[in-house]
Amino acid sequence: MARGSVCTCGQNEKRRIIFPCAGQANTGQLTNLAAVQLTEEGFGSIACVALLATGSEGLVANARSAGEVVILDGCPMLCARKIAEAQGVPVGQHLVMTELGIVKGPSKSYTEDDIELVVSAVWQGRGRS
Amino acid sequence: MVEMKTIEILGTGCMKCKRLMKNVEVAVKEMGIDAEIKKVDDITEIMDRGVMLTPALAVDGEIKVSGRVADVAEIKRILGGGS
Repeated sequence: MARGSVCTCGQNEKRRIIFPCAGQANTGQLTNLAAVQLTEEGFGSIACVALLATGSEGLVANARSAGEVVILDGCPMLCARKIAEAQGVPVGQHLVMTELGIVKGPSKSYTEDDIELVVSAVWQGRGRS
Repeated sequence: MVEMKTIEILGTGCMKCKRLMKNVEVAVKEMGIDAEIKKVDDITEIMDRGVMLTPALAVDGEIKVSGRVADVAEIKRILGGGS
């Protein structure tokens, strides 16, 4: 059997799934943007927390078998974490935007620096307990 | 007196190498240690060092992690400062 390329990048990374809460507030929207950027950077794959909430068998099975599940919640309501726990999905890393210093509403705006703050924190493993 | 450590990030410069570099910088800063941080992006040198999977992290010449981005806590453990 042919071997793959001998020089590859990130091949020992865990298979990670990222669930942003994707709430309506600026903090929730920020989780979504950070999860998209993390996916583009190769950290893991973004997945839909709303689908997880429905109990989708395939997604629940994927999440339970992932190397690490990353939950991004916008605010202390912790909706995404509660959904994961309700579906028996172990949470490997959990970050709350307001705990990172992002102020929730009333503004709907966010900056590139806000996104970088969250993405860096995830790469740094700040959400691991 | 604590000796200065030499920390190398081996990789050709993709996003994961940059993230590893940033994590190393954060770990060194938080530990308050004296360290020289170098980037090794020459693929021949990387291969010569026996690294088949990038990004890789070497401390004082010894490869500690390869093929993934170590987080800050792990880097601190590697550098001897716990997490």
